[in-house]
Amino acid sequence: MPREIITLQIGQCGNQIGMEFWKQLCAEHGIRPDGILEDFATDGTDRKDVFFYQADDEHYIPRAVLLDLEPRVIDGITSSPYANLYNPENMYTAKHGGGAGNNWASGYSQAERLHEETFDIIDREADGSDSLEGFVMCHSIAGGTGSVFPQQEDVSDVVVQPYNSILTLKRLTQNADCVVVLDNTALNRIAADRLHIQNPTFSQVNQLVSTIMATSTTTLRYPGYMNNDLIGLIASLIPTPRLHFLMTGYTPLTTDQKVANIRKTTVLDVMRRLLQPKNVMVSTLRDRKNNHCYISILNIIQGEVDPTQVHKSLQRIRERKLAEFIPWGPASIQVALSRKSPYVQTAHRVSGLMLANHTSISTVFEKNCRLFDKLRKREAFLENYKKEDIFKENFDELDASREVVQQLIEEYQAATKDGYIMWGTQQQGASGTDVSKV
Amino acid sequence: MSEFRIHHHVSELLSLLGASTGDGPEVYAEMLTKNLTPYVTTQVSAHAAKRKIAETSTMPRDFLKKYDELKSKNVRELDPLVYMLSRLAEDKQMLTFLDKNSKERSKARLGAVSSGAKINAVAAAEAILDNVPASGTMSQHEVNELRTKLATVTSSASQSGSTPVAVLKALREKQAKRAGNLPPTPSWVSERPYLSRDYVAGTGINQSTIPVSIGTLPLPMQELAIVEDLLFLMMGVEGKYLLVKPLKDKFSARSFTIDKTLEISLLELVQRILPVCSHYSTICRFMEAKSSFEHGLINHALCAAMRTLLKEYLILVAQLEHQFRLGQLSLQKLWFYIQPCMRTMEILSSIAVAIDKGSCKGGAVLTLLHEKTVGYTGDSKSQDLCLFLTQAACVPYFDILEQWIYKGIISDPYSEFLVAEHGSVQKEKVTEDYNDAYPLKISLHNKLIFMFVRENIPVFLEKVAHKILSTGKYLNVIRQCGQNVQCPNADEIIYTLHEREYVEKIEKAYSYASKTLLDLLMDERALMARLRSIKHYFLMDLGDFFVQFMDLAEDEMKKYMDDIMPSRLETLLELALRTSTANNDPYKDDLRVDLLPYDLITQLFRILSVAYDSRGATAYNQDPTELQISGLEAFSFDYVVKWPVSLILSKKALTKYQMLFRHLFYARHVERQLCNVWLSNKRAKRFTLNSSPWYAASFALRQRMLHFVQTYEHYMMFEVLEPSWHVMEKSLKTVTNIDGVLENHNDFLDRCLKDCMLTNLELLKVVSKLMLVCVTFTNCMQVRYFSCVIFSPAVYQSASVESQESDAPGVSPMSKKGPRPGEHERRRTTAKVVSDHVDKMISGEI
Repeated sequence: MPREIITLQIGQCGNQIGMEFWKQLCAEHGIRPDGILEDFATDGTDRKDVFFYQADDEHYIPRAVLLDLEPRVIDGITSSPYANLYNPENMYTAKHGGGAGNNWASGYSQAERLHEETFDIIDREADGSDSLEGFVMCHSIAGGTGSVFPQQEDVSDVVVQPYNSILTLKRLTQNADCVVVLDNTALNRIAADRLHIQNPTFSQVNQLVSTIMATSTTTLRYPGYMNNDLIGLIASLIPTPRLHFLMTGYTPLTTDQKVANIRKTTVLDVMRRLLQPKNVMVSTLRDRKNNHCYISILNIIQGEVDPTQVHKSLQRIRERKLAEFIPWGPASIQVALSRKSPYVQTAHRVSGLMLANHTSISTVFEKNCRLFDKLRKREAFLENYKKEDIFKENFDELDASREVVQQLIEEYQAATKDGYIMWGTQQQGASGTDVSKV
Repeated sequence: MSEFRIHHHVSELLSLLGASTGDGPEVYAEMLTKNLTPYVTTQVSAHAAKRKIAETSTMPRDFLKKYDELKSKNVRELDPLVYMLSRLAEDKQMLTFLDKNSKERSKARLGAVSSGAKINAVAAAEAILDNVPASGTMSQHEVNELRTKLATVTSSASQSGSTPVAVLKALREKQAKRAGNLPPTPSWVSERPYLSRDYVAGTGINQSTIPVSIGTLPLPMQELAIVEDLLFLMMGVEGKYLLVKPLKDKFSARSFTIDKTLEISLLELVQRILPVCSHYSTICRFMEAKSSFEHGLINHALCAAMRTLLKEYLILVAQLEHQFRLGQLSLQKLWFYIQPCMRTMEILSSIAVAIDKGSCKGGAVLTLLHEKTVGYTGDSKSQDLCLFLTQAACVPYFDILEQWIYKGIISDPYSEFLVAEHGSVQKEKVTEDYNDAYPLKISLHNKLIFMFVRENIPVFLEKVAHKILSTGKYLNVIRQCGQNVQCPNADEIIYTLHEREYVEKIEKAYSYASKTLLDLLMDERALMARLRSIKHYFLMDLGDFFVQFMDLAEDEMKKYMDDIMPSRLETLLELALRTSTANNDPYKDDLRVDLLPYDLITQLFRILSVAYDSRGATAYNQDPTELQISGLEAFSFDYVVKWPVSLILSKKALTKYQMLFRHLFYARHVERQLCNVWLSNKRAKRFTLNSSPWYAASFALRQRMLHFVQTYEHYMMFEVLEPSWHVMEKSLKTVTNIDGVLENHNDFLDRCLKDCMLTNLELLKVVSKLMLVCVTFTNCMQVRYFSCVIFSPAVYQSASVESQESDAPGVSPMSKKGPRPGEHERRRTTAKVVSDHVDKMISGEI
């Protein structure tokens, strides 16, 4: 009776990432592409049942639900060596196969029609687990079908991306418990700078993402002293429920194709490098008005680590003030030590993942808002949206979403200051007037 | 010596000395620990010390006499005591202090001493410490007192004050008690005087039958008569002119009356020869006395050896008689012939006297013989003789030794061996045991305890005594595991002057035994795997198992302890074990659930307050039975440990593990509670902080608490438990004997307890208070959350129904709760008070 986690892969992006993620998990748990356990992995002390369950013939099936409105990516999966890994019942493509055409509204209304079928799948999956811990949802926020992957303007090929992002962000703000934000710009930059791949392919970039996903769940899969449930892991990261957009960093990075030059890794090295912005997988902008800082940091350190080194490194980081924290809460880097998968050989002794709640994530949203505002002012590209039910009468939903995101940005900005805890109380009068306006 | 043992000794000493004022024992213990030298200073120059005391004392002669007397009785610890006394005499500060105190103290102590004569040497020595008077002002009274004390010290060794018969009887009774089946000596042995080879006093040739006094005979006749008499006397028969005086007491040398009329030149020679006869008498008495059962094998062996020597002596006498019959033996010739044997007899008798005086037995006899042997260095003949005796006497002792170190069996019917077995000791009691003193005896397990018998350690084995004890102990353990012990190099051990020869053999046996037992534990009983398994459960090394278990059992555990069905918990535990990674652990079935009737804090306070002289304990002295404790507080794991792994994982060790576990467990529980609050707070994300103003403070507080708890857990787990574990694991790999394993394991536990702040009362108070605040907060938050739901059903609905989300994003759940404006204020102040409190405590702690 493990604490199961069900992965929902939605849309093109979600499914592509998902595929890499399951590849990674299979490798780490010693599961072959067809779901059969490798001979060398039969007596492992890992917990495969968090992400997998076993079929009658003992082969492992991922707790994954694959959803898309167009068949392309899922077809790609079914023709890959991992085709037999998934439960075919859990793969769902819309029957007409037309996709949402990068239109959020289209996806929204199609989902309304399809939600019974999809929820059947999800319910079945949820019923199959004894004590469900949560869902992991992979999706981009720019597209139509799914929407965590804010793309920056310069690489985006979708003009209506700002609309989609804002609409998605509202949902993420209000419904998700924790969102790990990754963006293509940063990922490409990391691929180029760190891995020296000039034109990274999708699958290379997605490998980075899957590394993040796999590592962040490593304490669940390889149980140690602490952080053995998802809540314990993220509760300390997210002090107030709305500030739940996390950044990540990982070091040292390697890919299959190229063995990067191997460096000496110590805990201090790893922790220091994790704090460098260039290793962070979101590109945030410089914001001169606000003094952005960390709300919380959790470092998951893997490998042969001497706990005393961790202590020393933390001390060094504190002495050198490498990380700046919020003034209103407990401020320190939390460290979770975790085992490494015994089946995946890495050249480095120590590797680390940083999960950080940093207020500068608001700049990402701000940028989105600016782009949104530009388009919204001109009411550009809204015809396609108008076709769908939700926007038939007006664009209130767009504006309401914009409002939610704006509030989120303000909250992040307020969190940089000491008065955050009293923030609400001081502004009570203001909010009162808001209410009366509404 | 461990810190705890020192602590125990100090507190015992303090109570012995009646020191009630001043600092607690911990202060002294610390001082002593600091001054502890790694060298054992048993070799102190007693001579210089003796002289020093004699100089400062007003009655040096008395002192020296007493000293010699004690020395002759072979009292152990005498030299260190004297040395200490001399140091005291030097210490001016101490002297003035003692001078001040001695008057009132001595009176009280005198009473105490006279009543309780059973103070052992060390304790009494410490007691005397107080009463050594200042040099200048040593009064008669004080000297007497000192002497009384010294006498008391040795009272156990010299029970000779009473009649020999009584001693014999007492000895017999003691023996009978110990051995149970000591065969009795038939009564005729003591009833028939002529069985003795010794002189039969008073019943010899009747004095009236002496025809003439010897002086009336001519000189050649006198010589003949006197030589004949001497030959008789040498065989233990009274002569005509040389008569035997009755003995003054048991140990005194035999003396003779010589006919006064004997020619003066003859008289001179006779008086020189007579000591041989008196030695003969002493030896005979010794042999006959010591041959009875209760004196033990060593004495028997020694007697046998003496007997062979005596036989040679008698052959000599027979030869002399032959010469005499041939008329070739003059007194001069006799004197000449007995020259070599005089020395032998003298040595023999001196040994006999020494043994008798100290009423030595077993190892003490060997000590004495060894010292004699060493003392005759340079006189090779005498040394050979002593060596012969020592070797002979050592044979039975070494037989026992061989049995012990090669097989682990004690076959010691007369309790002469340096190791004694102390039968069944009751199963240790849990809490009491934790603080009861770390007993001096080396307790191995709960069935048998082997301990040293100090006076039975021969001097020449003192250095290896610990090894001997351990060797047998180990073998005994192996035997109890049902395995045969076959020491590969079980050579016979023979006493020689070169101690290397037997020490080497003992060391070989020791290394074999320790290695065998270690292998047995490590390989066959998989000690490391056991420890690892224990670590999984008690130190929470397998976190997922706990998540699992808590998920299952939380509801059950929230009940009061009396309402919990242990069998149900047991089932849940079983389930959790099967479904988590703990399933891979081969020893998981040994884990049990235990509900203790007191919570950890109470338990620790009780232990600590006992150890810390009951200071500060009063506040926590509630009777635990009066409190209803919940399952969470009462819960602990237990672990079934089988012999011989219980050597390492003794009840005491398990208790320590349990305490660690409960501490961690509670921290984990608090963390879970805080996470639950986090979960319930999630709902608030629909509303901006603007609209739900009072949430922020509680969120921040929760975050602070969670941070604290997690950091504290992290500290305990990754900075205390894990490193200590690694240190232990590493050292266990290199350790060579089982005592090392025990020591390492105990060190590990003690370090963990200490670093997890479980041994420090102040810190523990702070930590438990903090935890309590956290729990109070979570309870309050959970209730508050529900009340919020009840008060504002509209908000709840709007939050849960998807379609309504768009209509009023800015609406505050709190503002709808308008009718109760006072509520805000109250909550705010509560939250503030709590957070201030926590802040204060945190800052206070750092």
